[in-house]
Amino acid sequence: MIAALKTTALLAFIAFACLPLVQMTMVSFIATLPTPDAEVGSVTFGNYRRLLADPALRAAFGNSIAYVVLNICITVPVAIPAAYAFARTSFVGDRHLFLAFIAFRITPPVVLTLPIFQLFSVLGIVNAPFGIALAHCLFTLPVSIWILQGFIAAVPKELDETAFLDGYSRPRFIWTHLLPLIAPGIAVTAFFCFMFSWVEVVFARILTTTGGKPISMAINALFGFRTDVGLVMAVTVASILPGAVLLFFMRNHLSRGFRVGKV
Amino acid sequence: MKIRTNTGWLFVLPAALVMGLVGVIPLLTVMNYSFFEIFILDQRFWIGTEWYAQIIRSEAFWASFGRSALFSALVLAVQIPMGIAIALCIPRRQIWVGFALAGVALPLLVPWNMIPALWLSLLDPETGLLGQLMARFGWSVAWKMSAVQTWAVLIVMDVWHWTSLVVILCYSALTTVPPAYYQAARIDGAGPWQVFRHIQLPRLAPVLLMAVLLRFMDSFMIYTEAFGVNAGGPDDATMFLAVQLGEEIKAFNYGPSAARSVLFFLIVLTVAWLFTRAQARLDRTEGPG
Repeated sequence: MIAALKTTALLAFIAFACLPLVQMTMVSFIATLPTPDAEVGSVTFGNYRRLLADPALRAAFGNSIAYVVLNICITVPVAIPAAYAFARTSFVGDRHLFLAFIAFRITPPVVLTLPIFQLFSVLGIVNAPFGIALAHCLFTLPVSIWILQGFIAAVPKELDETAFLDGYSRPRFIWTHLLPLIAPGIAVTAFFCFMFSWVEVVFARILTTTGGKPISMAINALFGFRTDVGLVMAVTVASILPGAVLLFFMRNHLSRGFRVGKV
Repeated sequence: MKIRTNTGWLFVLPAALVMGLVGVIPLLTVMNYSFFEIFILDQRFWIGTEWYAQIIRSEAFWASFGRSALFSALVLAVQIPMGIAIALCIPRRQIWVGFALAGVALPLLVPWNMIPALWLSLLDPETGLLGQLMARFGWSVAWKMSAVQTWAVLIVMDVWHWTSLVVILCYSALTTVPPAYYQAARIDGAGPWQVFRHIQLPRLAPVLLMAVLLRFMDSFMIYTEAFGVNAGGPDDATMFLAVQLGEEIKAFNYGPSAARSVLFFLIVLTVAWLFTRAQARLDRTEGPG
């Protein structure tokens, strides 16, 4: 009885979560502006055909994937040693440093947009995926350190100690012993980097004023005097697909990311 | 216990350098600007704390502060209990649990600037699934004009978008409860409330603290979604803190927007400090492990 109630509540919540997505998918198959091959309101694949035919949209997908991959490549290698240090050692100022990481994670992007734009212009990394990837480290890095240090804390400390007795240095121990053990943790971390970075728009907007636009900004550019809502929805569906595929593969690991929340 | 060694600094150094580049340097820049009157960036005049005094004295600032606080309070009051409840509804170890979690997580994948468009499409009285249903019941949605309805749209939207994260966080904490605890509770004749209070809640506490921190700060500083729904309107009814700052930046008011940014960062720092205090307290009551 209680089990049935629980399942109903869960299914109702999932239905609520999917409702706007159902709407979006429906509209994406409807012609919302008059085109030669379909009347307004008729069911059509035209929106997806136009999406595939539009070079700007295809390039935007490339940019989005490029900056997310770059972001993961910057974040994860930097976060692993930091997470190890927070999980295993105590050093002067560790709590303050952790506080600083937390503070930057919860700093609203609007606060830093202007100086980050100026700084990145000077460095010559605006209008390119690398700039967005670096700016997004502001929130992906603290989250990654948090997730990874939970995974590292779950590894028995005796493993470290025997490795040191065997003459391994710390970096070599991390590379040869620890990394294979926390491999699922690295996958989860990369997934959450993707999830928070793919959807962010404030930095993505300010850092791509003339070029290198990611998919979210390419959708923005579709809004105008007569917006083709069908095309907008088709592009949005497409923008969710990569995440949905990753989500499918990560489904059994999703709940393993946030087990230990302490430093 | 953790080893006391300052070589830990060598390991956090790369992360600290990245944060220095994208966090500390921009923050110092903003602090610097906040003391100047700036027409163009090469031409500026020191005016001390004038901008801060102006913001602190302005009624518009405190009004938006109040609105943001109310919005956060409402959003947290719904999302946290709902997130815990849904997490408790997910069974442990079933084949379909992974699929359920993936379904729950779907809203997190939508680009933020598209979330208002999705909901407005859903609420459209002629083509939206929800809008058509509401029109049948005679509920007119004139959200553009009505402050209450704009607020309702924003809150439902935020609940839709972010409750998933709370569910995932809570569920991952719940899976760490050893099954033996539940058996022991059953033998002792503990009811569902007692199981929740004495077995599940202690495990949830650290993760829940993080969930509250993330959800509080992100809703307190809501920008993209609020701007997308009604751009602060109607009549400034949804002019939240970050939306106001966004307007200042768009108007190229470097000095005032910098001062506002610094004030926001002070709020952020206070919240982060309270969080680490609460976390340290949890650690003490829980004991090691």
